This record gives sequence, structure tokens and C-alpha cells, in this order.
Amino acid sequence: MQPKEVFDELKTILVARLKFDPRRAAEVTEATPLPKGAEGSIGLDSLDFIELSIAIEERFGVVMDESEDLSAHFASFDTLSRFVAGRLGGA
Amino acid sequence: MSRNVVVTGIGVVNAAVVGASPALGAWLARPSAVPPTGARPAVRLPERTLAGLVDPAEARRLSRVCQLTIAAARLAVAESGLDPARGLGLVVGSALGDFTSTIAFADGFLTRGPGGLSALLFPNTVMNTMAATTAIAVASRELALTINVPTVAGELAVARGAAAVASGRTDAVLAGGVDELDPLVAEMLDALGDDGLRGEGATFLVLEAEAAARARGAPSLGRIAGVAWRAIPAGPWGVGRRTTSRAIGDAVTRAGGAAPQWLYVSASGDARRDAWEARVLAAALGAPRPPAVSLAALVGHHAGLGALHVAAAAWTSRSGVLPAPDGGAGVAVTGDGLVHGLARGGGHVALVVGSGDTAWMPAAGHEGPPMELPTS
Amino acid sequence: MRRVVVTGLGAVSPFGAGVKAYWAGLAAGACAIRPLTLIDAGAFRCRIAAEVPDLRDGSSRRSRADRLALAAATEALDDAGLGRRECAEAALIVGAVGGGMLEAEEWYWARARGERPSGWAPALRAILPGAHAEMLGHRLGLGGPRHTVVTACSSGAVALAEAAELIADGVADVAVAGGVDAMTRLCFMGFNALKLLDPEPCRPFDRDRRGMSIGEGAAFVVLEAAERARARGARPYVELAGHGMTTDAYHVTAPEPEGDGMVRAMRAALAAGGVEPAAIGYANAHGTATPQNDRIEARAIARVFGDGRLLVSATKSMIGHTMAAAGSLEAVATILALVYETIPPTANLAIPDPEVGFDCVPRVAREAEVEHAISNSFGFGGQNVTLLFRRV
Repeated sequence: MQPKEVFDELKTILVARLKFDPRRAAEVTEATPLPKGAEGSIGLDSLDFIELSIAIEERFGVVMDESEDLSAHFASFDTLSRFVAGRLGGA
Repeated sequence: MSRNVVVTGIGVVNAAVVGASPALGAWLARPSAVPPTGARPAVRLPERTLAGLVDPAEARRLSRVCQLTIAAARLAVAESGLDPARGLGLVVGSALGDFTSTIAFADGFLTRGPGGLSALLFPNTVMNTMAATTAIAVASRELALTINVPTVAGELAVARGAAAVASGRTDAVLAGGVDELDPLVAEMLDALGDDGLRGEGATFLVLEAEAAARARGAPSLGRIAGVAWRAIPAGPWGVGRRTTSRAIGDAVTRAGGAAPQWLYVSASGDARRDAWEARVLAAALGAPRPPAVSLAALVGHHAGLGALHVAAAAWTSRSGVLPAPDGGAGVAVTGDGLVHGLARGGGHVALVVGSGDTAWMPAAGHEGPPMELPTS
Repeated sequence: MRRVVVTGLGAVSPFGAGVKAYWAGLAAGACAIRPLTLIDAGAFRCRIAAEVPDLRDGSSRRSRADRLALAAATEALDDAGLGRRECAEAALIVGAVGGGMLEAEEWYWARARGERPSGWAPALRAILPGAHAEMLGHRLGLGGPRHTVVTACSSGAVALAEAAELIADGVADVAVAGGVDAMTRLCFMGFNALKLLDPEPCRPFDRDRRGMSIGEGAAFVVLEAAERARARGARPYVELAGHGMTTDAYHVTAPEPEGDGMVRAMRAALAAGGVEPAAIGYANAHGTATPQNDRIEARAIARVFGDGRLLVSATKSMIGHTMAAAGSLEAVATILALVYETIPPTANLAIPDPEVGFDCVPRVAREAEVEHAISNSFGFGGQNVTLLFRRV
């Protein structure tokens, strides 16, 4: 799966699992930061990230090992899409 | 030690009234019932109500019952003008908690296995979720209690909050009740024979030590003169047979001993329970019974109703009017009144409410119009 | 304000029924965390918990949690030597979270499978946290002030604090207070989903700790006004000398990183009891074994007590996190530590976390004469309680 396809799925997860308004979810771009506090970010906190991990595991089968520091991958939609695509063996 | 406890802020969110004490007073002066809807009739909050009260970004992470709580809590704190950084406790009473989230959480697993479990929903499966989220929203850092009991959770939460202030342990407490309607819960309550008119909503009051409230120029909306809570033997969710209990007598004694002149009662159309309450009141207060009203017929019973009764009692003690739920003129009353709650399962709560020493007037700089008094 | 003493203890723990079995397990440093039998955990990474073994009391019509509560409360009243007549005006405060959810889940799971389960009205009557108090009040004839507190993981401790206030303020002379929780699918699945559970038995304060273990149980105590207890010739275990209750108001699951709420709760308990930090010899920690809680709690304890002399141990290493029962089961452990002059150890502790500056009593119980002890319970949603006990 390519990062772009992963990104589209992540937008679906934003609505279905993270309870974002569909219009807000449609507005995000690859460059949008994820964590709360970053400028222009979608504003996720620690609990949101857990929900996101569960959703990614369910949708893509990619298991996060919480002993690893994955914060760099969760910085933006772009980094996250590439991370997931990479785990799936995409380009 | 026993300090005087005054009400300095009120927040109400239900199908009939949304707002602080001015809105509540306007409604009590001309009470209107909200027609029940649904196959099993209940008084439901209109869809758009919460949209206007909670910011969407915040609402994303708040279940509906938490939004109800926060909305009412914020109205009360805003009216009081209290700075929570000076110390604010919180007591939330609820009969049913966040059943909606609990069922959704279970359904996620049942339909999709472990991947369907929602981390966002999980905290809502514990009934302290309304208190935890509201404490964050209003910056309440003293005690934060959640009290669960059928029928009288609102009355009990306010009584517990008043006791915290009266004892000197906390200078200000936000106390009240909240419940929402849920179809599975309705099915459950029907099966248990609890057939009163149900509703949903939240009512919260800011309770403060009178001296501190007066010193900062806070509005004094009424005084909670004495509280007590006990239990009368009854099986779980059951209606008991005994009628003696010390709750009413203890509350009256703590308030100075004068017999209450009027009553707000927890009758809701649950016939067996209502009859038991009437017998208990008769045993304690004798005949003829003082004039009594329940607002359950107007907004449906929910944990917010008990706190609403305390807020309404504060209004009655000032206006001299006990509202008439049938839309009539209301009854002229004087003196202090009693807010009474008797639960299936035996929980028994009594609060004596009066106007207090301070005349009703907004403090300088206090926002909002004065409460409307009824025009005869 | 009147002084409050503990005159009766009752417990049903993962070590079995009764206070005797509970203390025997604690003193031996035994670990009761084993493969789950009550629910099907096959779909999860963690499949162990601390269950109450061989629960026999009660009938099949009563929820598991109700049966745990009734056994513990009855033992406490018998231990205090109080009959029905003396208890007619006794207060009853219960800390609960799950209520009868285990049985309600069975009904709901069956419904989801398309079955038409019967007998659901009894299950539903018992489902809410407040149901235990109604059942106990009815069965034991307790007609005094009654309420149920739900403050997540600190519920059992809050119940004791609430009861102590009623007695101190003269509202009640006697109170039965405690907490109860039975295993539930919702709790087990939820903590699994949050990745807060260790697939192996939990290791509080260990450098390599990885998360919690879930447990179940119930503990109740009888509290009395000190003069009343003396007048009737009751022998108190300890004095409940103070408590502190605070809220983080920070986040619904994550503890506030500086531990300010924990510090305020501990300081408030000490102030209420009129004791200086140096007078405390033992702290029974909340100690869930999550990397976060233990680190923040250790720092908070150090801020209040300094480094060094204080002995600290985590009972959850032996009985898991018993949810609403934790605060009361761990209060009983703290009380017995004072009475028997023996500090229960932190089990499974192989390498103490270097960030933790005090002696965590690893693996083996320690004889120690201690005058004052505290028990911490820091619940989900930042609900913090510290109880202070004093030898009498």
C-alpha cells in the first residue's frame, strides 16, 4: 500500500475512531501535525494516540511495540503514512 | 463546627430550561411542562441544546453525559463569579452514569474483537467520568466525589456538598446531579418495576461558606440550613414498608428546629414509591402535610431533578411562591422549606432550604439580570 | 472533631476468604496473580489476574461482587463484636466501580449471540455500583447515613475517608466502610486496550516493570468514635487519624506529571492528623507497576518525606489491582502492618528502579515497629486519597 492510500484511510479513522467532524477530517493534509501543541496540529493527546494505534493495528495489521519510541513517526500524517506503508512493505 | 452554607451559583440544563438562576426563576414563575416523546414516554433534551453549550473541539472527547455535566457546571461557576484557584470541590450525583458509552464499548468488542475496543470510550465505563472531566473543565482540585444511588442522587450530592462546606473542610463545592436517557436502561428500569416519568439533564449549584461568599461580594441565592441522609430498610431497587427515619428530623434540628412550611418531593409517577414517600412524610411531619410539589412531571425524573429542587427551593424561599406544575398560579408560602428525596432501595435525604440573612441582590460587577419574580 | 478508631476488619482477597488468609499471604510475600478462569482472555496479550479462589458464599442469584462484599462486611461486624441492634444506626459507605457488571455482561454477551437469556432482572438489579450498599444495608440492618462513592481506583479508600468524616463530625457513632470489585470483561479488556497490563505478574517499583495486573476482592472495616469504642470495651486496631482527598484535574487517564495532587493528598492527611513527615514509618503505595504511576508516585513521596528512612511497599504486587476494593484491601494491609509490626513486602521486585530513592521492602516481609503509616490510592482521572493510621 502506498503512503497516499494510508493517508486516506487515516482520515477515515479520524472520523470513525477519533470522533472528528467529517469536515474537519477532510481539511487535513499530509503536512498537518498530529500532537497537541504543534502549530496547526489536529491536536491529539496521549489517549488519542492509543486509540490511533489500536485503529492502525485493526485496519492495517501493523502492531506498535510500545517499548519503542515511535513519537517521530506520529509527528504528522506524512510521517505516519510513510511509517505504516513501510511496515506493510509499500514503497 | 458548622458554618452557614449559601448557594452562589446555579446551572441548569434540561428540556425545559437552560441557564443560570435568572432563566430558572423565569421558568418557575410560569412553569411549562415538556411533552414526553417516544414509545416509552420520556422527556428528552432537544438535539441542538448541547451543540450550543459545548465547544466542538472539546465535545469530540466528551461523552454526552459528560457534556451535560460540564455545561451545567460552567453555568453555575460563571454565575457565582468564584475563582476555582481559591479551592473548589465537586460532588456529582448520578443514578445511571454513562451507560451509553459502556454499551458502545462492549459492542465494539462484540462486533469486531479486540481491535474494536475504544481507548477513548474506556474511561467512560467508570461512573466517575463526569466528575473527572468536569474537574478538568472547571479546574476543581479539592475532593471530587461521584455518588451513585437510585432516585435521590441529586439531593444526596447537594447534601454531601453542603456538609463539606458546613464542616469547614472545603470553602466552596460545586454539587449537583446528572443523568441521560438510554434505551437499554429504560428497558432495565421497566423490568424492575420503576415506572415513573423519566427525563434527562443536569443541575449544579455552587455552595460556599456564607462569610467567604459575602466577603467577596458573591450573590447569595439561598441558604442550605440543614441536611441529613440515612436509609430506610428496603430490598435493592425495592419499595420498603417502614416509615420511620431520622433524616427529616435531623435536617430540621440542624437548621434550627422550625418545622418546614413547604416541600419539594421526589414523586415521579412511580406509584408504589410515591405512596411510600407520602407515608414517610406523614409520619415525620404529621397532618395536614405542608404544600408540596415535584417538578418531575415537567422535566421527567433524573438525578439533576434533585438538585433542581434545591435550586427551586432557593427561589421559592425568596419569591414566596411554590410553583404549580399544572400551570396554575402557584401557592403563596413563607418560611423555610424542605427538599425531600426517598429512593427505591431506601436512600433517604432531607435538606432544609431558606432565604438566609442576605437580601437577594447581585453583587457589583456580577453579570446577569436579577431573577424574575412572579407577577400575580 | 472526634477521634476515629478501627474496631473490625473483614476481607476476601485473592489469597482467599478472611483476614487471616489475607495476612498470611501478605506476610509470606506470596503472589496470587495466576491464569484467568472467570473470563475468556484468549484474545488478549495479558491473560493473568488475581482472582478470589473458591468463592462459595451466597447463592447463585446474587452477583459475585455482592457476595464478596457481604462476606467481608459480615466478617468486619463480627470482628467488631457488633450485633444487629448496635448496627441499626450505623452508617454504611461503599466504594464501588463495576457493581454486578460480570453477570450483566454474561446476559449481554448471550444476547449478542442471539440467545434469549433469562434471569436478567436479578442481574440488572445488581448492576449499578450503588447496589452493594442497598443489599448490605438491607441484609445487615444498617439504617444510618448511607452512600456509594465511585472514584475509580481510589473508591475503597474514599469510602473509609467518608465514614471517618461522618464519625468525626458526630453524624454517626459507628460506620461500616469499604470497597468491592469483582472481575469484569469490561475492566480487563479496557486496560488491555490501553496497553497498561503486564503479560507477567506486575512488578511495582522494579526497573523493568511493564504494567498492571488486575485483581478482585472486597474489604470492609468498622469505624467507631474512640470514646464509644472504649466505653463498650472494644479493642481498637488503630486510629484512622487523618485523610486527604484531592483531584489532579489534569487528564482522564494520565496522571499529572509532577504529582502535585498526590503531594497535596499526602500533606493534607498528615496535617489532619497533626503529624510531621518524619513521624511516618511506612507508606503503602498505590504502586500499580505502570512505568508512569510508580515514577510519579515515587517522586511525590520523596517530595513529602525526603529520601531515606521511609519504608514503602506495593501490595498490588501480590493481589493485583483490585480496583474499587484496592483502597480498602490496602488499608487493611497497612493496619495489620502496624498491629503485627511487620511490613508486607513488594513481591516480584528483582531490580529496584534507581529513580526510586527508598527501601521498597523487596520480596521478604520486614519486622518494624512503626508508629504512623499512610496508604495511598491514586485513581484514574486524578482522584487522589491518602489515609493516615496511628497505633493505639
